[in-house]
Order: sequence, then C-alpha cells, then structure tokens
Amino acid sequence: MRHVIGIFVFTILTTMFYYYVGQMVPQKETYPPEELTISKDLTTDQMVEIGEQIVGGKGTCLTCHTIGESGAHRFPDLGGIGNTAASRVQGQSAVEYLAESIYDPNAYIVDGYVAGMPAMHRAPTNLNDDEILTIIAYLQSLGGTPDVTMSSSHSFTGQNPAAAAGAAPVAAAPSMSENLDGAGLYEKYLCNTCHSVDTDAPLIGPSLYDAGNRMSTADIYESIVDPDAKLADGYPGGVMIATLNGMNFYDSVSPKDLKKLVDYIASKKGN
Amino acid sequence: MDRRKLPFTIITIVVLVLLGITVQNVMNSWSLERELMGPNIEAAPDAVTPETPHTTEYRTFPKIGSRVAIWIVAQLHLMFAAFVLAVPMFALIIEYIGYRNGDKKYDKLAYEFTKLLSVSFSFTATLGAMLTFMLMILYPKLTNYLIGIFSWTFFPYVLLFFAEAGFLYSYYYGWGKFSPKVHLALGLGLNIVGTAIMFIANAWLTFMNSPAGINEAGQLVSMWDAINNFTWMPINIHRILANVAFGGSIAAAYGAFKFLGATTEEERAHYDWMGYIGNFVAISAFLTLPFAGYWLAKEIYAYSQSLGIVLMGGTFSWLFIIQAVLIGNLFLAANYYLWVSMERIDGAERFKKFTKYLLAAIAVCFLVWATPHSLVASVEEARSMGGSHHPMLGVLGVMSAKNTAVNIMILTTYISFLLYRRGNKEPTVSWSRTGNLIQFSIFAVVISFVIFLGVYGYFVDTATRVGLSVPQVLSVLFAMVSVTAIDVFMYKNAKFKGEMRWGQIPARAQYALFFLAITFTWLMGLMGYVRAGLRQHWHVYGVMRDTSVDAFTPTLGFAAGVVSVTVMIFFTFIAIVFWLAGLTGKKDWEEDKQLETSSGLLAEEA
Amino acid sequence: MDLFGISFLGLNVVPIILVIAGLVALRMFFNLNTLAWMAAWWVGLYLMLSNGITVPLPGSIVGMFMGIITLALLVYLTTSGEDLEATKDFMVKFFTDSRYSPALLAFLVLLPSLVAYNVYTGMTQQPQAPVFGRTIHPPPPTDITFKGKKIDLVNDDNPYRILKETDPDAFAAHVANGRKVYYQNCVNCHGDDMGGNGMFAHAFDPIPASFKDPTTIAMLQESYLFWRIAKGAPGLPDESTPWSSAMPAWEKFLSEEDIWDVIIFLYEYTGYEPRAKEELH
Repeated sequence: MRHVIGIFVFTILTTMFYYYVGQMVPQKETYPPEELTISKDLTTDQMVEIGEQIVGGKGTCLTCHTIGESGAHRFPDLGGIGNTAASRVQGQSAVEYLAESIYDPNAYIVDGYVAGMPAMHRAPTNLNDDEILTIIAYLQSLGGTPDVTMSSSHSFTGQNPAAAAGAAPVAAAPSMSENLDGAGLYEKYLCNTCHSVDTDAPLIGPSLYDAGNRMSTADIYESIVDPDAKLADGYPGGVMIATLNGMNFYDSVSPKDLKKLVDYIASKKGN
Repeated sequence: MDRRKLPFTIITIVVLVLLGITVQNVMNSWSLERELMGPNIEAAPDAVTPETPHTTEYRTFPKIGSRVAIWIVAQLHLMFAAFVLAVPMFALIIEYIGYRNGDKKYDKLAYEFTKLLSVSFSFTATLGAMLTFMLMILYPKLTNYLIGIFSWTFFPYVLLFFAEAGFLYSYYYGWGKFSPKVHLALGLGLNIVGTAIMFIANAWLTFMNSPAGINEAGQLVSMWDAINNFTWMPINIHRILANVAFGGSIAAAYGAFKFLGATTEEERAHYDWMGYIGNFVAISAFLTLPFAGYWLAKEIYAYSQSLGIVLMGGTFSWLFIIQAVLIGNLFLAANYYLWVSMERIDGAERFKKFTKYLLAAIAVCFLVWATPHSLVASVEEARSMGGSHHPMLGVLGVMSAKNTAVNIMILTTYISFLLYRRGNKEPTVSWSRTGNLIQFSIFAVVISFVIFLGVYGYFVDTATRVGLSVPQVLSVLFAMVSVTAIDVFMYKNAKFKGEMRWGQIPARAQYALFFLAITFTWLMGLMGYVRAGLRQHWHVYGVMRDTSVDAFTPTLGFAAGVVSVTVMIFFTFIAIVFWLAGLTGKKDWEEDKQLETSSGLLAEEA
Repeated sequence: MDLFGISFLGLNVVPIILVIAGLVALRMFFNLNTLAWMAAWWVGLYLMLSNGITVPLPGSIVGMFMGIITLALLVYLTTSGEDLEATKDFMVKFFTDSRYSPALLAFLVLLPSLVAYNVYTGMTQQPQAPVFGRTIHPPPPTDITFKGKKIDLVNDDNPYRILKETDPDAFAAHVANGRKVYYQNCVNCHGDDMGGNGMFAHAFDPIPASFKDPTTIAMLQESYLFWRIAKGAPGLPDESTPWSSAMPAWEKFLSEEDIWDVIIFLYEYTGYEPRAKEELH
C-alpha cells in the first residue's frame, strides 16, 4: 500500500510542478477584435450597447444633447427619456415617438426649445434604419426598459441597410480627405454644427467669425488638438473632444488637412 | 535526535520554505492585481433569455463554462485514444519478436500490455460519446457545420469502430487460442483499423485549423481537399509517433507500478524488464518527435504566415518555453533512468565516469532550448541590455540554436542507450578498437557538423536557415544508424563481463518512469491546447468565428491549470485501469477465502 | 582600474576566473562529499550567471537557468547509489551528530529567516512598473490600408528593391531619399547609428528598436517593416499588449515611396538582408 501512496503523492507533486512552471511565464489574455455588427438577431442588451456607441460616435448626438445634466440646455437633455418618451405625445408609443424625433426631428418640439436638429438618416450622419433602431433601444434604456427589437416597426423609413453592402460595422472611419479646401473641411468635419463662422452668434460652441483676430495659429492648433487646454468663458469642457473622438476626427485627419483647417479658421477676422 | 525523525524534520523545513514562497507569491499577485484592476467591480448577472431550439449557437455548461468542459473531455478522450491506438502497435511488435525467437517471455509481455487495453477501450468510447454529445449540446452551430462538411465520413468512422472492437477483443481474448500467425494477423488488423480511425478524426480537427476545400462562403467544394488539408498528414504522422511515445511511457508506468508492489523476486525481475521495454519504446518514438513537430510547424507557416507567427512568435511563444521545460525534463529523466538502471548491470561501472559529461551536455542544451526569444525584463534591465534582446541570449533564443540543442540532446540520449547496451559486454572481435574509433569519429564529426550548421544559420537568410534543419536531422539520423550498425557487428558473440540483474533496480528509477509518464501526459495536454488554441477566436480558422463568451484566449497559467486538472483526472482513470488489469492475476475469491480461513484455523490451532 | 570591468567576448573575466579558481581549490584542498560539492557548483554557477556576463542577464532568466541547473544537479546527486547513500548518511549525521549541532542550529535559524527576508523584501519593494513579457515581433495583419490603397503584407514586396539589380543609379536615388527621410524623422529615437539610442530614446519603455541588433530587421520581411512604420504603435494588434510603444503612425506624414525608401536605407546602412519571402504552396 505504501507504494500506492508514494505514487499518488509523486503524481500530484509533479503535476503541481508543471502547473507552477505555467504560472511563471507572462500571463496574458487575448481578446478577439471588437466587431459589433448589426444583425437581425441582436439581443436587447447588444442593441443598447451598439446604440450607445452610435450615439457617442457616428451619430454625433452628444454634440448637442446631454445625458443627465441639469441646467440650461440648448437641446433637450436625454436623461430619463426612456421614461418620458411614451407620454410626450398623446397616442404615440415610445418607439414611435423616438423614431419620429430621429427621422423627423422638427415634427414635435419640446417646450422651451427651438427647432434645429437635422434628420439623422440624411447626410452628414447617414444612419440607416437598423442603426436607428439600436439608438432607440439605447434611448429607451435611459430611465426605462427597452421594448424595441430589431424587428420592431414604426412609420418611418430611411435608408434600408440591406441596400448597403452587408452589415455595416459600427465604427466606420470617415473616408480619406478628397482634396477639400479649408471651408470644405470645415463642413466635412461638421465644425459648422457648433461654431458659426459668418456671424458672431454662438451656436453650441463659441463663434469663430473673428478667430483670426483673437487667436494665433498656434492657439487654433491647440484648440483643435487639445480643446480643453483653454476654454472660452461660459463653455463646458469635454464636449468638443468627445465629439471629435466620436467622429474619429483625430485618427482620420491628415496633418495637411489640419493645417488647411487652421488656416481657414485663422482667415476669419470678423467683418 | 532520533534517526527516524529525520524525514519529518526535512518535510517540516520544506513545507516552511514552500509556505514562505507561496505567501510571497500570493501577496505579490494580490498587490499587482489591486494596482492593475483597481476596486473589483462585479459584473451584473446576465439576463436570462429564452432560447429557441433551431437558432441556438451556444449553450453554457454550468460552473466551469462550455469551453473548459469540452476541453477537459476532449483531452481525456484523446489521451485514452492515444493509449488504445499505441499499445497494439508495440504489443504486436513484441509479440512478433517473441514469435520469431520463440522466447515465451516476449509473448507474455505483449499479453500484459494488451491486458491494459480492454478497459481503456471502453473508457475511450465512453469519453468519445460524451465529447460528441457535449459538442452537439454546447456548440450546436459548429457541430452542424462540421457535420455538413464531413457528412458521410462519419459512417466509416462508426463502422471502423465496430471493426476495432472486433479485432481488439478477438486479439485479447484469443491470446494463445489461435495459431500465432492468425493471431498476429488479428493484431495487424487492429492496428490498421485503429490508424484509419485516427486519420478520419484528424481530418475533422485539422480542417478546423487549416480549412480547405471550401469556397469563400464556407460551403463545401471538395471533400477530399477538406480532408487532405495542409496539416492533416503532418498531424497524422506526429500523432502516431506521439501516441507510441505516450503509450510506451504509460505502459512503463504500469511496469513501475507493478514493480513497486511486487512481492517476489521473479515478479520484480519481470516488471523491471517491462518498465525498461516500455521506456525503450517511449524514448525511441520520442527521439523522432522533434522532427515531426518541426514539419508540422512548417506546414502551419505554409498555410498561413499569421497563424505561424501566432504560434511561434505571438500569443503562444511562451507556451513553447513551458514545452522546452517539459521536453528538457523528459530528456533528463530518460537519461537518468538509463544511468540509474546501469547499476544493476555488472560491468557497467566502467561507464559511470561518462555520466557527468552526458549530464552536462544535456543541461547546457536544456538551458539553450529554454532561453526565450523575448525576455521578461524590467525597464532598467532592458536599458542595460541596450534593447529588448540580450546580446548573448538573443543569439540563443532563435531557432538555429534550439535546433542544434535538440539534436545534440537526441544524440546524447542515444549515447546513453549505447552505453547501457554495452553495459556487461566485452567485444571479442579483433577490430573492436578500430570500431570504437570509427564510432567515436562519427559522433565527433556529426556533432561538429550540427554545431557548424547551427552557427552557419546566423549568416544566411531565413529560407536557407529553415532548410539547414534538414541536413542537421539527416546527419543525426546517419550517426544513429551507422553507429548502431557497427555496434551490432562489434558486439556479436560478445563476452559477458557480468550479469544483468533484472529486478535489482532502485525504486527511484521506477519513479523516474512515473515522472516520464506524467510529463508525457502533461506535454500532450499542453500541445493539444496549443493546437486548438492556435485558432484563437475562430472555430474554423478564417471561416467560422467564435462568438461565444469563451472566444478569448486565456492566460497560459489558466491553461496550465486546466491541463493539470486533466492530467490528474487521467491518472485517476489510469489507476482504475491498472487496478482492473491487475485483478486478472489475482487469486479467486473463493480460493482466497478458503486460504484465509485455513490459515486462521491454523493460527487458532497454534 | 576596475578589475571587474575587464570584459572578453562579452564575459567578465575576473569573476569567472575567481569562480573557477574557487571550484578548483575546493577540489584540491577539501575532501567534500557529493552534496557539498553540488552545493559549491550551484553557488559557483549562480555567481557566474549573475556576475560573469558583461551585460547582466535579466533576473527572470537567471531564475529560470538556476531552476534547470538545480534539476540537473539533483539528477547528478541521485544517479549513483553510492553518492545517494553517502548523502543520506551525511544528512542523518547532520541532524543527529552533536558534532554538527552548531551548524544544524544555524541552518534551522537561517533557512526560515532567509525565507522571511525574501518575503519581507518582496513586500517592501518600492513601487515599480510591472514587468511584462513583450512579444517583440507581433503577428502582422495579412493586409493593411495605406491612404486608401490596399497593401498586401503577405505577397507585396518593396517595389524599389528590384532596382538594385536593374538600375543601380535609380536605386542609389532611393537610398538617398531614404537617408533623408531617416535623418529627418527617425533619428530622434532610433539614433544616428541606428542603435536605438537617439536623444529621445531614454524616455521610452520599451526603448526604440536597435536596427543593428541582428534579431530585428535582419529577421523580418520588408512588408513587415512597412506595416510597423505606416501604422506605428496604434496599429499593433490587441494581443500581447501592453505595448506602450511610442512609435508614431507615419502614414500620416510620409508617402508610400518614402516609407519603402527608408526601409531600403535601413538595410543598406546596416548591411543586413531582408528576410526572404517563404515559398507558399
């Protein structure tokens, strides 16, 4: 019997030795590349997750909307929208209401706000129907429980995703610049959504109509590359950098384009 | 202090030391984890979603998760299958040797090996069924796809299994009942069927690694291409060799187990010999494995460079350091067994002085082989090295050096065998001095040539360098074959200087056999993991993605844990197999009982 | 003069000679038993590994080597039955014979204290950047998009390399352009002699690659270099992270031709040949 115990202990010790060797090498987990694609069999959780990415990224929603911030807003705060959506308009379900707000934003304007939101299924955001469904799911999750699914129907249609080639990856990088001039780039990167250049009326961000007088070229560079380094009075930090990150601006803009953009802004001397 | 207390004192000290090291490691890992992770955030439990029968891609296995469950079951199935396929190969050869030279002891040994088979065969089949069901239940989408690709190959597989059972049981139960030729033919049939079964199963799994014969959409174009994919043949060959090495080592462990429990001199002699033969089989097959492995890796590179880099340079590069430790240990233990067992050969003392040089050669090669290419170094260490590579170690971390090291380890082990073989013999032929000299020069020339090619490899481009491994291997093979040939003639009619005292081997040599068996098993588990893990987040590489929660590649430490658990379970099963195999040799219960009562009566009377 | 600094073939001569002399002296003047002799070897090899090599080995490697050496010495100690018996006898005597009592006492006190000391130092260390194993040559993707153009990393090769044979003058122009690109962009980190020791190099972990090192560009294909230069650290794969590499993605600053030229220049300057494409079948 003694040899059985001996062998038993010996087996365990040898195995433990190799286990120990296995612990001594660098330990790393490798995760598969993120590739959330929208398909018809997404679960609600996945829809919310993708919707959140679109809202913060390609949809550029957070350029104007806030989520869960109190105070004076230029556009409605989206916090709790999942709760209020169903009761905003008599006879409109939550899904229907949210869809309308995305496809035809000016059909219903929340009290105290002015019309100004573009239809999201059109340029420049170009969201397709499936992407908008995920956005609805995300919005419903804010303060409520989503009841939308990938097969939910509502009375709006925009771009049919099936027409686009295959399922669209969520974070599609903007295409390389196609030789636009400064003004073209200013629009391409949607700077004009928040910064006016023709009048001194501020939009979401300060007007840049006299930027060339107020700021040196280096300041303008800095304000684009690191927007929070110096903030104009009365404007919150973090908005612009989040927006630009969401559009993949920093990853896609070439140094040449950046220079053109800065030169364009510097040429605005207010008149 | 009492002499008997010595073991306790030593154990206490060892435990203290281990405890200290453990405490330190655990605390280190805690503090590191705190630094890296911050406060622990518990993930919210997933919402339960009702499943629909036909679209489900995955189901989860409770507690350990689907991947670990299927991993362990598949590995156990493979280990038993390897054993069941390998044992008939050398059982048949041993039986044939016995048939040729008429020595009954070979026949008895072959029978003893075969005895281990029948229980193992049931284990293999049961685990195989379990694996199949688990695949269907846990990975329905993948299983469906593979069934779609390999549709009709499953029928011959099942039919061959029938044939395997037929051959196996007639071979086992028909021992001594047929004419030797018929019986040998049954054994041959058993081997052919077994090999065919393995080839079919290999087609399925190599397809997952290197799919072929399908179009862009993953639909089947040519089934033969799907079967004969890039890695199919290399895996077939690699597995046959590895199975024999593994089976031999387990059989040797059986010998060791019986030896340690033996009560008579005769039994000890027999099982000592059995352990020796098992080990001889294991090591002979093992010596060829590095070549087969090299070929397999080369085919993987040829199939996909990025798969090759993931294997050797990326995620799994450290796995090969663990592998180097395992293989280095195998070489050490195999040689150790030979050196220790030379003590039971009268006349082998004259070779004892070589031991330390052989050991030094193996140790140096082991060090070279285990040197990683990318080092773990802190910033200061990296700075003082002037880069991520150490000027000296960087040279040792590449394939040229490692190939050279493994070739020399193979030669060293071969020399140990040679010395063992000569143990108690003295050549009587007149040209023995010249013969020795020639053998010595062959070794000297081949070793210098291997080292020269290894060094030369640093000065040529990669394609040439990869090509250099062929002459290295060939020259080593040449040395082994030619030296053996000379030796056979030189020791014909040799004079015996002393006796071969079978059975008088120290217990530690038997433990070395266990060590070999455990190391082989662990190595098999590890390499099984890398073959499957290589696909990373793919079920079928490049064709079907793994979208389950287990799509990530776990840490090597985790993999080592799973392999360790698998090895433990395997040896628990093997213990059952050994026990059952041992039952046939036991006395009948009735007889035993009578004996007991009669001895009891005798005692009473006394 | 610093005696320990004398270096020959990358080895510190003095410590090695001292260790060898020590072992020889032990052999000649003391009649050590096998156990003590093995212990002497262990210490000697440890001293050689930790002090005998001019560029010190990383601690992890010394640890691993000593582990293997320990295994080998244990094998030696137990191979011969006589030695093993002698060792056992000695150990029994060590624990029982009153002659060894002071040594035994010292041993019993020292060993746990050593462990305690080890634990103590392990826990009181100054915070350090965690040590990570890095894969130096991570697996490349099969193709990349460079300014909207697809570049096949598996099959494409440096389009200007062929000029070396066909049109040496044009090739020289590419080398010259590569030189210009290198000294305008790369020199700050990779150094003016390509040793990975430019003036910014000292701020980085990992430090910039040294192209003189035979295990960097000499082992890689040109398309691999193209990937690493064009995509830089942001393009490194997710696995085998953290990279913390400071390599910029040069695709935003250099043209395709510039990158191929600078690759040519790297090989021309260092004298290495790029790794040949493997035969694919």
